[in-house]
Order: sequence, then structure tokens, then C-alpha cells
Amino acid sequence: MLGRPGYHIRRALRNMRQSPFLSLASIATVALSLALLAFFALAVLNVQQLMASWGDEMAIVAYLDDPPEEKVLQQWLADIRAYAEVQDITYVSQPEALERFRERLGPEAGLLDGLDAQILPASIEIHLREELRQRTTLETVAGQLQQDARFEDLTYGREWLEKFEAFLLLLRISGAALGSFLMFAALVIVANTIKLTLYVRQDELEAMSLVGATSLFIKLPYLFEGTLQGLIGGVLALGASLLVFRLLLMDVLAKLLMITGIDTIHFLPPAWQVGLVLGGGLIGLLGSLFALRKFARIGPA
Amino acid sequence: MIQLYNVTKSYLRGQNALNDITLKIEKGEFVYLTGPSGAGKSTFLKLLYCAERPSRGQILINGRNITRFGVQRIPLLRRDFGIVFQDFKLLNRRTVYENVAFPLEVTGHKRFEISKKVYQTLKQVGLQHRLNDHPLQLSGGEQQRVAVARALVVEPLILLADEPTGNLDPDVTLEIMEMFKDANARGTTVVMATHDRQLIRQFPRRILELDAGCIQMDDLPC
Ligand SMILES: Nc1ncnc2c1ncn2[C@@H]1O[C@H](COP(=O)(O)OP(=O)(O)O)[C@@H](O)[C@H]1O
Ligand SMILES: [Mg+2]
Repeated sequence: MLGRPGYHIRRALRNMRQSPFLSLASIATVALSLALLAFFALAVLNVQQLMASWGDEMAIVAYLDDPPEEKVLQQWLADIRAYAEVQDITYVSQPEALERFRERLGPEAGLLDGLDAQILPASIEIHLREELRQRTTLETVAGQLQQDARFEDLTYGREWLEKFEAFLLLLRISGAALGSFLMFAALVIVANTIKLTLYVRQDELEAMSLVGATSLFIKLPYLFEGTLQGLIGGVLALGASLLVFRLLLMDVLAKLLMITGIDTIHFLPPAWQVGLVLGGGLIGLLGSLFALRKFARIGPA
Repeated sequence: MIQLYNVTKSYLRGQNALNDITLKIEKGEFVYLTGPSGAGKSTFLKLLYCAERPSRGQILINGRNITRFGVQRIPLLRRDFGIVFQDFKLLNRRTVYENVAFPLEVTGHKRFEISKKVYQTLKQVGLQHRLNDHPLQLSGGEQQRVAVARALVVEPLILLADEPTGNLDPDVTLEIMEMFKDANARGTTVVMATHDRQLIRQFPRRILELDAGCIQMDDLPC
């Protein structure tokens, strides 16, 4: 009796055709809330990715105002390499530092003409092993190095890292809060639209139950209807966020993150895209289940 | 087929709608349920198809005690019934064909089987030419014939009718009565609530007269 999904889906489609405005309202709500959620996810994911890529450049830099002679220096470098966390180190001598600075200045490089290489310190750039490039490990290794009088003058961009991590956390928390609020709102609205259609069709539900339709048989099309509306909403949200991403967000994010090459900004990964659509379906299904709970006893009126 | 033992029904407020009713209706009987408005006719029928539960007493349908039937078993019980109402209770957004087919769809009949039975039944009630119309495009009499077709298409054990001719003019009333008689002749037990005395005189059958929830008279035609 219930083994005919085609039959129930046809009934669901007919119901939707017969109250297009209510259906559109549900679809639009799901689409809107999921699209907002998708925008947030886009922002978080991209910022996160950016941080990861910056992480590659994260290094501890020990400045040597007064670099020792070559033999001593090699010993120092060997000492640093001995740390288990360290992957490799680069020594930048004073002339190299000046050369780099010159390169960075580009057309303004003339300003440096005639200056002595001594004005810039030499430095040792210490790169940690890839899996350890996080604020906490950077902090520990830097702390250990700092104990050593030779490498007192250390930087590893701690403040900025902290700020960035805090920003990311804020973004995630507000995204999650807004997201769950929106999902909940979508759920309530879908539940209420379905409830409204049920009220409109109460006579029909009664007539069905009088000829011996089980309550599952009566409800099934409404569950399909809700789920289908949710899925459509999810697909629309995906489409809308892709569109907005292409037309707008890509530029805005790129500017916001001060990135030159736009190809480092990414759309939601495939798993998220699927999740968005399925999430819509789930909202629809739960919404209609909610609505139908009250109608559990259609039978003996 | 239908047995009631000391059945009392009281709604939340007010006096008993039915008061200590004990009676038996045999298989194949045709019974009128009559009495003034508010006597308890509709309540009696509702107890039979489990739209209401008795406050006291036991009801047996076809040997099963339905008094303690769980909600899940009610739909199955109703498949043994055909029910006709004064206000038709059709699915107004479905065609005539779909309305009559619906009880068969519910019980999972095959499509060709459904169409065969639906055509056959619509022909019996003389509406085979209206099967693609919607109920609201039909006259009251035609709508009631659709409702009767819907009730009879499942070849019910029991036909329950609550003032089925209450809104219809005399000729249509006679048509409907003929259909009920035919169904009865094919073995369906019929319980029909009506306060149309003339109709009862015209088609004399067993009469159960209710008044204020009590049986006033249980009479076979002379
Ligand atoms: N759902 C209900 N709630 C409360 N009282 C009801 C309800 N249905 C019927 N009654 C009362 O029960 C009595 C019998 O009603 P009913 O069975 O409809 O009588 P009839 O069909 O003979 O006119 C009446 O007094 C009516 O007011
Ligand atoms: Mg009544």
C-alpha cells in the first residue's frame, strides 16, 4: 500500500500545484536562510584557507644585530636545526637583507643608494615542520629559543596571529549562531505553511480517513511536499550563492582580504554544496513532520 | 453483524447522547435509524465507524470488539464500511473518477482493477459520462450519487448513511434509495439515519427510533 512512492509523489506535486503561493513561501524561506548561511560559510572558509596559506610563510625570525663570524654562525644554525620542530632554516646575511629590501622597494630602490649594508640586521628564518605551523607551537619554540641569549631578538607575528584567530573564531561563532537561527526560522515557517495547507484541506483529510486511509497514507504526500520544497530551496540557495559569489563576493572578499590574485578565493567545496541541498531537504522534512504531529489523530475526529 | 451492549455515549457537556443501548443488527439487514433532530442518530453511526468512542458498553462489528480498537486499526475497520453523508464529503479538488477510485487506491488495488471497478460502479449510479468533472460542477443529486458510488465501489460489508437524502429532491431521493436497496440485495448490511417518514413508508424496513438517546421503538415492518 505504501510501496508506491511514485503515487505519493504525484499527490505531493498536485498539492503543490494547487497551492503555489504557500509552496513558494516555503521554498523561498528555505532558500533565503540557506543562502545566508552559505555566504557566511564562504567567508569563513576563505579566511581560514587564507590563514592556512599564510601559515606556510609563518616563520620565527631571529635578528642578529651583530652577526658572528662564519664558523660560530654555523654552530648556531646547527643548534637551531637540532630542534625537533624545525624543518629548515634560512640565514639572511646583512647584504642579502639589504638586497631583499631593495627588491621590495622596487622603483623607490634608489633611496637606498649609498647606504651601508650594516643598517639592516642579519636574520635567521626558522621554518617549523608543516603540521606544527600554528600559533601555539610557534609560541613554544620561540619561547625556548628566547631562553638562549644568542637569539633574544625574536619575532613570529604573534599579535597578528592572535587577532586573526580571534576574528576567525568570531566569524565562526556568529556564523553558527545566525545559521542555526535561520535554520530554525526556516523550519518553523515550513512547518506553518504545511500546517496552513492542512487546515485548508481538512475536509479532504477527513474524507480520506473515512474511506479507511491510514494516517501515514494521508501524511506521506505532505512529507514529500515538505522535503521537496526544502530540496528546491537548497538548490536555489546553492545557485544564488554561486551567482552572488561570481558576481560580487569574489571581488569583495578579495579586496577585504587584500589579496592580489583572485584565484585564491574559492567557492564552497563539493561536500558543502551537497550538504546545503540535503540540509534544505532535511529542514523541509522536519518542518512537515512538525506540522503533521498535531494531525496524528485525524482518524477518530 | 453489528452488536451493541449497554452502549452509552456522553459528550463532554450535556446529557447522554446515547443511553444504555443494547441491540443487534444481522448480516444483510436494512435498518432505518430515525427520531427527531438531536436524538442521537449521527452519534450512533459515529460510534460504529469509530469517529467517536462509547463512554460505556461494548460494540461488536462482524465479531470484532471495536471498543478498544487502537488508532492504527481504525482505518482497516473503515474499509469494511461504505459511508454516505448528507453533505457528501467528496474530495472537491479531484475528479469524479478519482473520488470513486480513492478508497481502492488506499487499499492498494492494481490500476486496471481500479479502473474496471470505478467504471462499473459509476455506470451503476448513471454517472459514467461525468467521470472527468469535478464534484462542484455537478448538481447535489449527482454529487450524492458520486458519494454512493465511492461507498459501494469497495463492496462494503456495511453501508452507513447519515441522512443521505436530507438535501435532495424527491426523485433523486428515490434513485439513491434504489441504489441502497440494490446493494442490500447483494448482501450489504445497510444502516441509514433519516427522519423522512414518507420515505420509510415507501420502502418499509426495520425501524430503530431514537429519542433523547434512548430506543423508543424497534419495529419490523408489518
Ligand atoms: N461533538 C459533540 N460535542 C458535544 N455534543 C454533541 C456533539 N455531537 C452531538 N452532540 C450532542 O449529542 C446529541 C445527539 O446529537 P446527534 O447524534 O448529532 O443527533 P442527531 O443526528 O439525531 O440529530 C445532541 O444533543 C447534540 O447536541
Ligand atoms: Mg445527525
